[in-house]
Amino acid sequence: MALSNNNSKRAALGTGLLALAGLVSTPVLAQDAQQIIRDRCLACHTETGSAEAPSFSRISEQRKTPEGWLMTINRMTHLRGLELTREEKRALVKHLADTQGLAPEETEGYRYLLEQDTNLVENSIDQGLAETCGRCHSEARFALQRRTEQEWKYLVDFHMGQFPTTELHSLARDRQWYQIASNDTAADLGKRFPLITQEWNNWQKASKSDLMGRWRVTGFVPGKGEFDAWMTAAKTSEGHYDVTLEGLYADGTALNGEGKATVYTGYEWRASLTIDGVKMRQVMAADKQGNSLEGRMFVAAEREIGGELSAVRDQGKAAVVAVQPSYLRAGEPAELTLIGQNLKGDINLGEGVVVEKVLSRADDRITVLAKATGNEGLRTVRVGQAASESALAVYSELARVDVTPANAVTRIGGAGGNLPKVRASYRAVGYSAGADGKPGTEDDLRLGYMPASWSIKPADEVAAHDKDDKYAGSFNAAGIFTPGDAGLNPERKMSANNVGRLTVVATVADGSTQVEGEGSMLVAVQDFVRRVLD
Amino acid sequence: MKHLKSLNKKAQLINKAVSPEEVEDVVAMQTVVGCTATTDPGWELDPFGGLGSLCQPMESDLYGCADACWWPAQVPDTMNTYPEWGDGVAKADKDWRKLDGIFEDAE
Repeated sequence: MALSNNNSKRAALGTGLLALAGLVSTPVLAQDAQQIIRDRCLACHTETGSAEAPSFSRISEQRKTPEGWLMTINRMTHLRGLELTREEKRALVKHLADTQGLAPEETEGYRYLLEQDTNLVENSIDQGLAETCGRCHSEARFALQRRTEQEWKYLVDFHMGQFPTTELHSLARDRQWYQIASNDTAADLGKRFPLITQEWNNWQKASKSDLMGRWRVTGFVPGKGEFDAWMTAAKTSEGHYDVTLEGLYADGTALNGEGKATVYTGYEWRASLTIDGVKMRQVMAADKQGNSLEGRMFVAAEREIGGELSAVRDQGKAAVVAVQPSYLRAGEPAELTLIGQNLKGDINLGEGVVVEKVLSRADDRITVLAKATGNEGLRTVRVGQAASESALAVYSELARVDVTPANAVTRIGGAGGNLPKVRASYRAVGYSAGADGKPGTEDDLRLGYMPASWSIKPADEVAAHDKDDKYAGSFNAAGIFTPGDAGLNPERKMSANNVGRLTVVATVADGSTQVEGEGSMLVAVQDFVRRVLD
Repeated sequence: MKHLKSLNKKAQLINKAVSPEEVEDVVAMQTVVGCTATTDPGWELDPFGGLGSLCQPMESDLYGCADACWWPAQVPDTMNTYPEWGDGVAKADKDWRKLDGIFEDAE
C-alpha cells in the first residue's frame, strides 16, 4: 500500500508528479488500458456496454486532468486496496486523461493549480461552492473535474463517510449541510461542470498536433533569473518525447538540461527534466495549432519555487518572442536582448528608440545598446519581417511597484523534522503612471519585471508586538523568502511556533529615487497533507 | 457589541475584526490556495485573519483536532484515513520531529 512507511513518504516528496512526466516509452493501446481496468478494478466496479465501447461504473461517468486521474488512482490504492504496477498506473493515467480528459477551454481560468502556482487568491466561483467545497480545497480542484450529477452526489457521500465531522465544521453546522451538499450543491456542480459538454465533444473530434520538434523557449527560474533556450522534443512513442533544453540566463550563465515529456489529452505537456543538476518539472498547454506552449516550470521537490515558461515552435519563419528586459527608461542608454528565431534584417525598436550599438548578434539572440526618446508607451519590436507587438515599454518615471505574489503562504519546517520549509519566490512588477499621471489607475503602463531588493516588516500591531519579523523568516537577495524553523520556540510567548504575519516590501531603484511595493505573507504551520493538486 | 466591553485579547480581536477593511483582508488570506477556511479553530489563521486565537504552539493540541478530522486537507485525519499517523508521537510538543507528511503518489 502506498504511504505505508516513513521512508516512502519522505522519498515521495521529490517524485510526487513523476508518473506524469513521461517515463513510459511503449505506446498504450486503448484495449490494453481497458484490460487493466477489467483485471484490476472490476472487483468493485462493473462493466456494461459492448466489448469495443465498454462502460465502467463510476469511472466512465467522470472526466479529469492527468493529475486528477492520478489522484483518483492513488486514492483507490490507499483506501480501497487497488494494486497496480508502476507501468499499469502510468498506462491508466494516460488512457483516462486521453479519453476522459478536459478540453483546453475547460481548463481555462484554473491552470494555476495544474501549474502548482498556488500563491494566489481564487476568484470565487460562487459563495455556496466556496463554503461547501472551497473551505478545505482550492476551487480549481473541483472546477477541473467533470461529472454527472449522480457522480457529484457520490462525491458528497464519500466526504461524509470518510470525513464524518465535515458537517460539524463552521459553515456546516449552522445549516442542513448534508442535504444542501447532496441536493443543491451536487445539482449545481452537475450543471456547471457536467460530464457531457460541447467543448469536449469538439476536442475529441479535433485533429491534434504532434509536439515533436524544436522550440524557442523563454522563462524564469527563481534564484537564477530570466533565461532563453532551445528545447528539442524527439518522439519516442505516441505522446512521449525525449527532451533537451539548452540556453542562457540573462547574466550569461549557461543552462543545460534533459529529460522526458508526455503529452496528455492532445495538449497537456508534462515534462520532467534535470537542469544543471536540479530536477525540474514543466506543466504547459499547447495551443490548438500546436505551435506554442504556455505554462510554468518549477523545482520538482519544491513546487512553490518556479516561474513562467513559454515555447514557440520553430517553423523556419522569423519571429521575435521576447525582449529582456521589457522596458527602457527614456533618456538612459540600456542593454536589451531580443530573443527569437531566424532573425535577419534591420532592427527597429519602435518610435523614438535608437539602437546605439549592436553588442552581439545571432539569428536567435540580438543584444543591443538602446536609448529611448519621445512619449511613454508600448513599442512594436521588429527584426526584418518579424514583429512583436507591445514588446517594449518606454517610460519616463517608475510610479508603482506591485509585489507578486500579492498574497502568499509560506510554512515553517526543517529543524530536524520530516517536512521541509515551504518557501516563496517573489518578483516585482513595475508600472508608470500612464496618461493621467496617477499610479494605481487603469491606465498605468505595465513595464515588466524589475530587479528589487526585498525586506519584511510586521503586518500589524499584533505582529509587531509578537516580533513576527524577527522569528518568521527572511529574504535572500534573489527574492526568495525562507520561513523559520519548525517546532516550539521557547523565546516566544507560550513557546509559539515561528509563525507570523508579514508585509513584504520590494524596493526598486529608478534613477535617483526608489519606489516601494508591498504584499502580504502568512508564515503558517506545516501542511502535513500535500496532494498532487491541493 | 457596543454595550459589551472586551476584557481580554481575544475579545479585543473580535471587536477589531468588525471593521470592513479587516474583514476583507481576512477573506483574502483565508482563500489563498492550500489554506483551510475552517477557522473554528483555524489551522493557518484564526477567524480574524490573525494568529492570536490559534492553538499555539500547534503541537500542543494537534491530536485534539486531527482525531476529529478538523482540517483533513491539511492535517492527516486519524479517524479514518490515516489512523496510524500519530503512532509513536504521543507528545507532539516533544516528538514533533517524528511526525510525517503525507506526500501523495509514493510509487
